[in-house]
This record gives sequence, structure tokens and C-alpha cells, in this order.
Amino acid sequence: MCSNGNAVGSAANAAQEYMSDSAPFDEMYNADGSVRDPYLELDAWLKEQPAQALKLMSADAEGLFRRLGITFAVYGSNESTERLIPFDIIPRIISAAEWRRLSKGIEQRVRALNAFLHDIYHRQEILKAGRVPEALILQNSAFCPEMMGLDPAKGIYSHIIGVDIVRVGPNDFYVLEDNVRTPSGVSYMLENREAMLHLAPDLFQRHKVAPVETYAENLRRTLESVAPENRQGAPTIAVLTPGIYNSAYFEHSFLADQMGAQLCEGPDLFVEGGKVYMRTTTGPERVDVIYRRIDDDFIDPLTFRPDSLLGVPGLFDAYRAGNVTLVNAPGTGIADDKAVYTYVPEIIEFYLGEKPLLNNVPTYNCTDEEQRNYVLANIEELVVKEVHGSGGYGMLVGPTSTKAMREEFKRRILARPDNYIVQPTLALSTCPTSVKAGIAPRHVDLRPYVLVGDKIRITPGGLTRVALKKGSLVVNSSQGGGTKDTWVLEE
Amino acid sequence: MKIEIRHHLRVAIGPDLTRAIEHLLLTPQSGTTQTVDAWSIEMPGFAEAARFKDAYGNVAHLVCQTHPEPELSVLVAGSVETHDTHGVVGKPDGAPVPTLYKRQTALTRSPVTVHGKFRHAERSGQARIPLLHQIMERVGELYRFGLAEDDAPEAEGPSQSQTMGTMTQSQTMGTPARPEGKAEDFAHAFIGAARALDIPARFVTGYLAAEDDRPAVFHAWAEAWDDALGWIGFDAALGLCPAERHVRVAVGLDAATCPPIRTVPATGAPEVLALSVTPA
Repeated sequence: MCSNGNAVGSAANAAQEYMSDSAPFDEMYNADGSVRDPYLELDAWLKEQPAQALKLMSADAEGLFRRLGITFAVYGSNESTERLIPFDIIPRIISAAEWRRLSKGIEQRVRALNAFLHDIYHRQEILKAGRVPEALILQNSAFCPEMMGLDPAKGIYSHIIGVDIVRVGPNDFYVLEDNVRTPSGVSYMLENREAMLHLAPDLFQRHKVAPVETYAENLRRTLESVAPENRQGAPTIAVLTPGIYNSAYFEHSFLADQMGAQLCEGPDLFVEGGKVYMRTTTGPERVDVIYRRIDDDFIDPLTFRPDSLLGVPGLFDAYRAGNVTLVNAPGTGIADDKAVYTYVPEIIEFYLGEKPLLNNVPTYNCTDEEQRNYVLANIEELVVKEVHGSGGYGMLVGPTSTKAMREEFKRRILARPDNYIVQPTLALSTCPTSVKAGIAPRHVDLRPYVLVGDKIRITPGGLTRVALKKGSLVVNSSQGGGTKDTWVLEE
Repeated sequence: MKIEIRHHLRVAIGPDLTRAIEHLLLTPQSGTTQTVDAWSIEMPGFAEAARFKDAYGNVAHLVCQTHPEPELSVLVAGSVETHDTHGVVGKPDGAPVPTLYKRQTALTRSPVTVHGKFRHAERSGQARIPLLHQIMERVGELYRFGLAEDDAPEAEGPSQSQTMGTMTQSQTMGTPARPEGKAEDFAHAFIGAARALDIPARFVTGYLAAEDDRPAVFHAWAEAWDDALGWIGFDAALGLCPAERHVRVAVGLDAATCPPIRTVPATGAPEVLALSVTPA
């Protein structure tokens, strides 16, 4: 194990030691122990650091985050409801060329998914053409009939997207999930960068790192660009939150603050004459764009769940009447449904006439008997996900599961085959990560954040999540994952 | 046939409210089966209401009140000329794609008894329209229209309100297995069976003119899709295709998607104070 605390021999030895417990693609070290180009400066910097320096920095980072108050709530945990997401101080580095390729693929996907949403809620040409099974969409609980025929500003349904990507080789990227509903975590991306700038300013001097600090400004521009078309003047933006008990409340208030927008809860807004107003100390103020972080079912008790206390009565009707923009649109979930996911390559070809630039993970359909039998026989090598699950809940990772868990999931798959999708376990890439014994490879994923408005803006980098447990492939913060600052190098 | 409609409702919205809000689907549109000559809705806040098309192509109104009275009075009045097209509504502009109406909902999933015997009908070459008539007859055999109990003239008042606006509530939804059904039960059974056979079918609300011993009612029936003719009405409760006595008001996937009035705060059934649907 390469450790800064020990006297390290030759770099190659150290690297070989480092690599010994990592068969998958490592983003820093080649198999022969040499350092990959994007990481050369980092490698040199790490070697210059005195003993214990990384540990001290880690301690500093924790203090910094506590002061900033970045915590998240873990559902179902009865200890403390607030926990700090562990931050790893070794940045993940992506070269300019790698990022160019990646961002092209992301942009292609985001265009196709918005075109798909428009079609599904209008003429449904892709269903007529038989490219996506009709029943998969029409009978899907994520399909929102109330959206039929609605024309959102600029034709955009999903404005804020966080695509989950994993890497398995130098040029092999797979999309795990598209997250076109209300992706969270962007505040960690921003805070990680801020923390990193405090902790290792010298490391930034040695690299040309593309900025992420423009995110809030770009978010505001994106939201302004999708204000209702009949609206004159500078639009008023509100961030609608379910309130302080939501796990992402910190992010909601953070983003509102960064954008200079109002943070509202349902009761702060009301609808009158088909328009939406915000209560302010100086009287009602018209609201044009609502970045809502409340799930579809809860945004409006008049149209959706009547028992919702979080939403705004009449909001959806005001949206239909063209007097307010909801970001993201209700019903976008049909585009990131786990069963629809398998058709994304089809969707890209159908609307754009292009070959997909990013891979989809091959997915087994458990309603097909042959595929189901394969899944049941090989479950210890596979990943099982609930179709409507998220955040790593209701998921089985075969290689690290117990026999009891596997039997339980077999039982569940047999009982409700349509409720699960199954994928091969991908050998997620690893990045050097600061651990107790020094530096060791840990598996990572990447969630770049995409904004779709007058144009598509992809923040360079994104949120890297890292599975801190040795060998673990589950990066979710609710399951013991941490995060890293993600650097895209400029040329 | 010229039909005069007067429909007076009372919504017990509740005391001491700061705000109340209603979503109204009480405005018929002109089309092949009817021409709306005059239509008006009178209720508090209606002058400032937002009028728009909903997802199903209906004319919807969003009405708000500040500090409303505990009871809202809603008076709907109008005059509609109906045209007998043997139930054919056709392919109206602005309606969503018919495929949408293949979506089964909790209310339309019908027991296999309704559609089971027709399962292979279309594949074996049976024409769609006779098939739809057979489904209508089958639904009529399975349930008895509970007209006498619920819609008798003397019951015009509180119990009439049971068929009006409570369509989202379970007591009127019932299970189609019930021997006696209300109009919406017949419609849901017909729709569920059609959808099970991969035929788009939708729920329709509207007025039914009085005839002989039958009083005027706010009614519900179904429409099914035919590629050549478009939408065709089927009133399984009466066992006929709507002709001149039906006035179409709104359509949806099922009763829950197109009730005449939805409110926040949610209320029980609006009370029907008076309803007349009179051929002039």
C-alpha cells in the first residue's frame, strides 16, 4: 500500500503495491505502474507532500464542511439524522480530450431524451413506429397523462439533468442512469471545489482546471431562458422545497441563495387568476419560473395527490394555462424509468438519426423467461435494481452479497419480475483515495450536471462519488460512499 | 334537437377559509354531435377564472376565491343543439392521440368476464364496430342500471348528488361485479373491456335529457376508437349509442380524471339543487 507516512521506495514499486488490490481500470496508474498523463502533476505533488500532510488536510476538510453545514439526511437511520458526507481530498482528474468525448455523448443523450418526452406527450410517433413498446409507456406509472398536449417553453421538459456515468476503461464509459427528474448533489460538486481551493491552492497552480463555480449563474440563465413566452421583463424565479426535513434541503437553500432566487415552501406560493404569486413582505409578487424540488405527485393537490400539503393548489393548471414554467416538467420520469432505459439507444437513433456515443449497460429483462432463468442461475455475478428504486435502496450487488440476500432477491424477482432490472456487475474504474493506511484505489462513478435551456450547458466535471469500503461498488452516500472534487483539465 | 340546460350546484367548501380553488370541467364544446349556442357559468370568482385546454382536450376553468362563503353556489346554464350521428363523434382537432386511451387505470381494470369471450375477436377478423356493440350488450347483461334507486325524480336533491361529482369517491366507484351499477360503473366496465382488447376507449361526462319516465341526469358513458370513424359513443347503462339526448361535456381516462368539479380544500359531493335538461 502506498502511504505517505512510510518511506516510499521507487515510484514503480509503490504503484505496483497500490495496484495489487485493483484489477479494474485505474484512472491514475497504468497496469505497468506508470502514471497516466492527466495525473502526472498530481503524482509529483503527492510525492512532495510531507508525512501526514494528507491526513491533516482531511481533518481540515471535515472542519470546513462542518462549518459550512453541508450535511445530508439518511432515511431509515435511527442514530443521527444528519451526517457529513466523507470528502476525499485527492481529486479525480479528467483530460480535456476525455471530457470532450464524454460531454458530446451526454449532450446527445439529453437532446434525445427531451425529444422523446415531447413526442410521448404529443403524437407518440416512436410508439407508432414500434421502436418502443406501447404498453411500456402507456401502462407505466411514471407516464403522466396530465402532460398530454402541453407545450412547455422552448419545448424543453428536462432542464436539469444529472447523468450517472461509470468508466471501465480508458475510452469506455457507460451510462447507468439518466436522472432527468430532480437530480441532487450539485451543491456537493460546488462545495468540494471550494474546499479543495482552500486546502490545496498550490495544486491548482500546477493545473489548468476548468471552473465549476459558474454553475449557479448558468442555472439562473437557464431558468430565465425558459420563462413563459408571453412574459415581459426579467422573470422571477423561485425554488420550491418540501422543507427542512427533506434530505436535500441544504442544497435547495444553497442553490436559491447562489442564484439570488427566493426559496419557497408550498404555503409561500398561491395561485390566483391562473397565475402564481409569492407572498412577500411588500405584497404578492408574480412568479414565472419554479425550480421545484418536490416530486410530481405532491406539487399540486388540485390535480395530483389531494392529500399533499407540500404543493401549491392550482399550480399545474397555471402551468397548463402557460402562466408559469415548472422545472423540471412533471412526467419527465418516463424518460429515466429503469425499464425505458434499455431503449435509450433506440431513442437516440430514432430522434437524432445518430449512433449513441455513450454505452448503455446491457440489461436483463426478468419478465422474459429465458433471461430470468439466466438471472436466477447467475445472481451472484449480477446487480439487481428495483425499477422505481433510487439511492442504492432496494438493490443487490451479487458479488458482495450474502447467500440470504441472494435468496431473498430471487424470491422477489419471481414474485414481481417486472419490478426488477438486472445488469452485469461492471468493473468500475478506481481512483487513488486517501484511506487509513495511506492511498489506495477505490471505485468511483461520475455525475455530470447538465442544464438545458436556450442552450445546453454542461458543467465540466461533476460529482465524483467514491465507494470508501475496499472493493465496494456502491457509491451512494446513503450506503457509505464519499465524494471527490472532479477536475477537467483545460488545454 | 335543441336542449336547454340549467344545473345549479352547491359546494360546501367549508367555513373560515382564506382561500379556495376549483378546477371546473363544466363547459361543453361544439363538434359533430352538438353545437353550443349559449353557455354560462355563474359562481364567485368566475370572472377572473383562467380558461384553458386540459390534457384530454376539455375546456377547463381554474377558479379562485379569497375568504369565500362556506358554501359556493355554481349555476350552469346554456343551450345546445344536438345532432344525431348514431354516436359518431369523429376525430376532433386538438384531442390527444387515441393510443393514450389504452392506458388502464385502477377504475377501468375490468374482470375478465366482460372481455374474455371477445379476446380473439379482432384477430379472427371480426369488425370493430359490431364487436364494440357486443361489449356494450355484455356489460348490460352483467349489471343492472341502478336508475330507480339513485336517479328517481323524487330523489333529485341530496341523493342525485351521489352521481354528481363524487365520481372520484369509492362509494360510487364500487366494483363492477356489483349487480346494480351506476352510469360510471357501466362506462368503466365497457372501457376496461375495450382497453383489454387493445381498443382505445375513454370516459365521457355530460347531460342526458329527460325522457318519458326517466329524469334528466348528469350522466356518464364511454367512447371507443375506430380508425375509420374516429370516436364513437357507447352508453352501456342505457344500451345504446348516444343520439340526440346526450350532451357531451368532458372526456378523460376514467371518472377520476374528469369530474365536473375538483376543489381544494377537498369537499364531499356537490349538492345538486336543481337540474333540468329539457328538449326545447
